[in-house]
Amino acid sequence: MAERKTDIGPPHYEQFLPPVIKKNYGKWKYHEIVRPGVLMHVAESGDKLFSVRAATPRLASTKTLRMFADIAEEYCGGHLRWTSRNNVEFLTDNESNVEPLVERLNKEGYPVGGTGPGITNIVHTQGWVHCHSAASDASGVVKSVMDEMFPYYNGEKKLPAKLRIAFACCLNMCGAVHCSDIAILGVHRKPPDVKHDIMKAQCEIPSTVAACPTGAIRPATVDGKQSVEVIEEQCMFCANCFSVCPAMPLNRPDTDGISIWVGGKVSQARSEPKFSKLAVPYIPNEPPRWPTVVNTVKKIVETYAANARPWERMGEWIDRIGWPRFFKLTGLPFTKYHIDDFTHAGETFQRSLHFKRA
Amino acid sequence: MSASVEDVANAMYEMVKEYHGKKNLKALDLTKAMIQKFGEDQVDKKLCKQAIRQLIDSGKCTYSYVGGSYIVLPPES
Amino acid sequence: MATKVRETPMLDELTKGPWPSFVREIKKSAEDGKEAANDLLGVLERSYHEKIGHWKHGGIVGVMGYGGGVIGRYNDLPEEFPHVAHFHTLRVNQPSGWFYTSDILRKICDIWDKHGSGITNFHGSTGDMVLLGCRTEALEPVFAELTELGFDLGGSGSDMRTPSCCCGKARCEWACYDTMNACYDITMHFQDELHRPAFPYKYKFKFAGCGNDCVASIARSDCAVIGTWKDDIQIDQAAVAEYAKGGGIDIQKHVVERCPAGCMSFDGSKLEINNDDCMKCMHCINALPKALAPGKERGATILIGAKAPIIGGALLSSVFVPFLEMEPPYEDLKELTEAIWDLWGEHGKNRERVGEFIQRIGLGNFLEQIGLEPTPEMVVHPRTNPYIFFELDEEE
Repeated sequence: MAERKTDIGPPHYEQFLPPVIKKNYGKWKYHEIVRPGVLMHVAESGDKLFSVRAATPRLASTKTLRMFADIAEEYCGGHLRWTSRNNVEFLTDNESNVEPLVERLNKEGYPVGGTGPGITNIVHTQGWVHCHSAASDASGVVKSVMDEMFPYYNGEKKLPAKLRIAFACCLNMCGAVHCSDIAILGVHRKPPDVKHDIMKAQCEIPSTVAACPTGAIRPATVDGKQSVEVIEEQCMFCANCFSVCPAMPLNRPDTDGISIWVGGKVSQARSEPKFSKLAVPYIPNEPPRWPTVVNTVKKIVETYAANARPWERMGEWIDRIGWPRFFKLTGLPFTKYHIDDFTHAGETFQRSLHFKRA
Repeated sequence: MSASVEDVANAMYEMVKEYHGKKNLKALDLTKAMIQKFGEDQVDKKLCKQAIRQLIDSGKCTYSYVGGSYIVLPPES
Repeated sequence: MATKVRETPMLDELTKGPWPSFVREIKKSAEDGKEAANDLLGVLERSYHEKIGHWKHGGIVGVMGYGGGVIGRYNDLPEEFPHVAHFHTLRVNQPSGWFYTSDILRKICDIWDKHGSGITNFHGSTGDMVLLGCRTEALEPVFAELTELGFDLGGSGSDMRTPSCCCGKARCEWACYDTMNACYDITMHFQDELHRPAFPYKYKFKFAGCGNDCVASIARSDCAVIGTWKDDIQIDQAAVAEYAKGGGIDIQKHVVERCPAGCMSFDGSKLEINNDDCMKCMHCINALPKALAPGKERGATILIGAKAPIIGGALLSSVFVPFLEMEPPYEDLKELTEAIWDLWGEHGKNRERVGEFIQRIGLGNFLEQIGLEPTPEMVVHPRTNPYIFFELDEEE
């Protein structure tokens, strides 16, 4: 038996780089989007690298990965990479391979696109496919939204600037969606259903009590069992207690659903990075295609597309026109749920006359 | 430093056993307790780290995850 | 392998439309004879009918010696769906920049076809390659075969999470330091911290080559290393003139007037930049990539403390080191990291991210403890509230 290897870390990246990258590493001069989904990077040496970007659903079967390997071998000397937003990129220095690559990927059902001012792939979480705390499915919503937004992915339609959508199926936000142009976020709306029978065996009562950011959980004896009780009006459904104690589930089919947040960004370009802000507090889960979520996202995107100026991200556009006009133009209702009441709430109150006409 | 990694690992094991079913201990809880128990001149964080590694590699304890990572006795099955 | 693939009328709705379908992917694995994939279809179809997930909370699973890298997952309907009764995930540390070759990809598939569901995520949110769904007894064999191939597990739980980076100098002209190298170096240097959870909670590193931040480091990492420069933006005036002549972009309107610092002017042919006022936001460079480039004295700004809402509310990272040269072996970054871990490790509460810890004890105190001098770049403005915790010296 071979000695058990540990702590070897990831393989060194250099062995996976195509020759044109090894040769021009750190010596790239500029790049252009030569057609939707295809980037051309030009090096100081004059060498060119073509990256053909294609959509994936993030969840990939080994059959698909093997097919990607075949395609990479056929056109790219076996070289490919993935982007930070779940797109796959095929890398070649041979311009004449670009057209057949695009055709092949489109034919196989992994369409080419995701570059420039438009909508690229959605970063998302596991949802009902694998997660214990999901308030919604992730992949199904992503698929439904991207089917509708597809013309903004493949370059058929353009937007004033990049638009980044992210999805997280609960407030844990494994995808940290909170700084996206549009964030779709699963929410619970009922306090935990305390399982007094298993509480003592599965959870530490003091750490369950301590887990609550609003102090809504206190120790209690229920039917002679050591357990906890929840002060329901203090619960804001964050599910932090469930993270530390399996006896505090919040998942409910009738009341779980989705919220929509807008105007966040991470890049430094022009304006500072910013958080996404609440646009729609709650939409029920409507599997399999979540039509209300899809239509709401579509409405927001189309309103933005029709009104924003070139280079203006969603949040920059809203900063310019003001929130009253955002709600008026999109037709989304503004409710008491839009007003923050947690730690930093006061910072979001309007404390001047500097608001614009709706 | 005069306490051995073995001694500290054993003392950690006793502590995990003592708290089993009462409180989940984190690596840092064990480290702080050992520095207290053996004295700062006898053990430091680095030695505790080695002791935890020995404790886990020996199979006497294992890591668990309940919203955070803990060092616990292995499941009975 | 004559298993009949389950009928999934609801999920089948998600095989329609132009976007690639995850249902199609699961079906491919099920058609390939993977019983786990077939049962996953069954349980997911059920979730779609019932509007609720069927996965239980964690459990004690992992590979020998490690506290991270495996997410334990059990189904709550094991009798109906026995092949997903265990459905554990392995997080596999991805290569820097997510570059692969066809050969290595096939070898990973071979391992996963032999031991697992045949289903993967390329990639998980933190950046790992995710092998989705196997039984407990498969974990050690998968791990042994992965390490034989040269791969190791990533992080999970209260450890250093798998660092990730943009493709940096491999392909991008804007990379202000070698993100892929820095990411690899830090990952290798802190292997113990990655595999053996010893922190109050998770700690994430992300390496972005410039302020465009393609890996969302400022929102998603406890330590964001974002490329920047100290000297002046490089201008090729001939290329500026080309852009002006080409008419593809209105330089005055879309570059000069969009500069957040108001530090540019354009007379129709020549672009001038008052670099003292430049905020290195990247907009003008993004807009005129052939004419403008980051300066030559390059490095990174180090920002600390981003996190999602749980527990005390979401945070963006904030400036710790306005400019750091990023040359191997990255001693300054490693020293800073160790000082932060030491302090947070000692005094952080359970499940308290470093950003929350800093808010609790105060940034000023935190800096003092880790031995960093406060500088005006760290704040938007000095405090406005006069409740100052003065600390008088003995002789005062």
